[in-house]
Amino acid sequence: MPTLDRRELLHGAVAASVVANLSTAVVAEDGSARSVQRRVIDTNVSLFRWPFRRLPLDETGELVAKLRSHSIEQAWAGSFEGLLHRDIAGVNSRLVEACRAHGDDLLFPFGSVNPVLPDWEEDLRRCHEEHRMLGVRLHPNYHGYTLDDPRFERLMRLAAERRLTVQLAAAMEDTRTQHPLLQVADVDLTPLPEMLKRVPEARVVVLNHKVTGAEVMQLLNTPGAYFDMSRVNATDGVARVMRTVPKGRVVFGTHAPFLIYESAMIKVYESNLTDDEDSSILYENAKRLVSRASV
Amino acid sequence: MTAATQPFGLPAPDKLRKYKIWDSYFLPAHSADPQRFATDMKRSHSAIEKAAIERLCVFLHVGLGTADAATEANLRENPEVIVAPLKQWPEMLLGMMRLNPMDVRRSLDALNRWMRDGPMVGVYFASSKQASLPCNHRNFDPLVQKIDELGGVIMQHTWFKTSGKDSAGESTPSELAELAQRFPEIKFLCAHAGGEWEKGIRAIRAHPNILAETSGFDATAGFIDMAVRELGADRVVFGSHLPSRSLGTELSKVLSADISATDRKKIFGENLRRLLGPIHAKQGIPKR
Repeated sequence: MPTLDRRELLHGAVAASVVANLSTAVVAEDGSARSVQRRVIDTNVSLFRWPFRRLPLDETGELVAKLRSHSIEQAWAGSFEGLLHRDIAGVNSRLVEACRAHGDDLLFPFGSVNPVLPDWEEDLRRCHEEHRMLGVRLHPNYHGYTLDDPRFERLMRLAAERRLTVQLAAAMEDTRTQHPLLQVADVDLTPLPEMLKRVPEARVVVLNHKVTGAEVMQLLNTPGAYFDMSRVNATDGVARVMRTVPKGRVVFGTHAPFLIYESAMIKVYESNLTDDEDSSILYENAKRLVSRASV
Repeated sequence: MTAATQPFGLPAPDKLRKYKIWDSYFLPAHSADPQRFATDMKRSHSAIEKAAIERLCVFLHVGLGTADAATEANLRENPEVIVAPLKQWPEMLLGMMRLNPMDVRRSLDALNRWMRDGPMVGVYFASSKQASLPCNHRNFDPLVQKIDELGGVIMQHTWFKTSGKDSAGESTPSELAELAQRFPEIKFLCAHAGGEWEKGIRAIRAHPNILAETSGFDATAGFIDMAVRELGADRVVFGSHLPSRSLGTELSKVLSADISATDRKKIFGENLRRLLGPIHAKQGIPKR
């Protein structure tokens, strides 16, 4: 079955009406149905080395090859170095350089900010003004603060002023499998809904959460809160989450290379989504999220 | 075909069918309410179809105190409930009975009733709060000997948790290794490869009679690669953990690993069919 090339489509080789509705099959002039690739933004990849084991795709070139093999249009990349390093400016510079060297407009860097470190505001400024990032990525549990910490709210206010999307990694791995010398609890999201009411301009994407539990559902009903689906489980898990929260709040993320790249893709496929749901989780919701960025 | 119905992250269905996938770890709820089992079968149906899974091992309570009180009462009053799923889905499901190592006498009786006389093809030892013991306990000895005599498959739930066991009855791969060392001629399936699979694989590596089952934890990259490198593909067996875990999590572990197509076929079905050979022969079930 012939397949339309995504870049052809994007560069105007096909009518704009087709571009507007890429997630549905196209009927050709001869009446035959043609397969059309999905448009996909992966909101959750990381570059460099996971501190505790080598991963099959932890060389940036190999990760990029995987992204290209699946015709991923954009991947929002954080840095594993941001978990434990304290020279965050160096971490973010290397991230930007790797995205530029390998990405070809595929990798979009999301810099680390650690509000426990002195002068973290300068890291945030550089992410926005110098690196022209779409957003930043936080690791509250690895950095040692809770979401009712005043520094977190100040970070959210400053990010909102700069129209930066904030990605908040609720976990990086199952707590049961963590290294015994580095055990960190999942981030307690309980304070987040009230904080978002006080900072309504903020946009926060919670990464690597299983998206279960009453407090999470409360959060998803709060404007400004989004979730990626990389660790949503159960065969009907993605569909359940999408159909119980306001439209537009769930985005596609793989948590690669820590998790196997195809895991999240198959989760979407097995969820038997409608075409609208499929295109919204894979592309539209993420696109809308960063459309207000001032870069 | 619309975009949402096109395979995404999966090979084409005809390629998946060539793997002849058999699932060693299928988890629909077997409870007092038979409707829950049917609901879970319905929840799983699409994933089973999309992955072209041919047969699935399901873990059934047989009234040995392994279930909640309501389910146990129902099984006592309506013993036909025990094998009802196997009668309803005979072409799909393979019955594995849940034994209680805290009650050896009744467990041995149950093996005669449900395995010797059919239709159960194996045993599942859980790590539940009730009705479980660490599998290095001597109570396991007469049970595994009887199961071996009958030709049944043995699946032992295992986890290595960084923070330690949640209950005294939980088993680790190291404890399974102790049991396997006492019975080197008997094969054991190490469910979930210990969860923390880098330790789990090491714990069972020296025991060729232990095979690692693949489900029950996130799709952490590198697992199957290490398992095949350290154990060999003959000692790895696919499990889906459907419906409480997703096809994406479990199938991708094997599909995306950097292993040969031959090894993938072993993991997806050949190894399980080999384990089931003796019990199928005893029960007169033709080879598939």
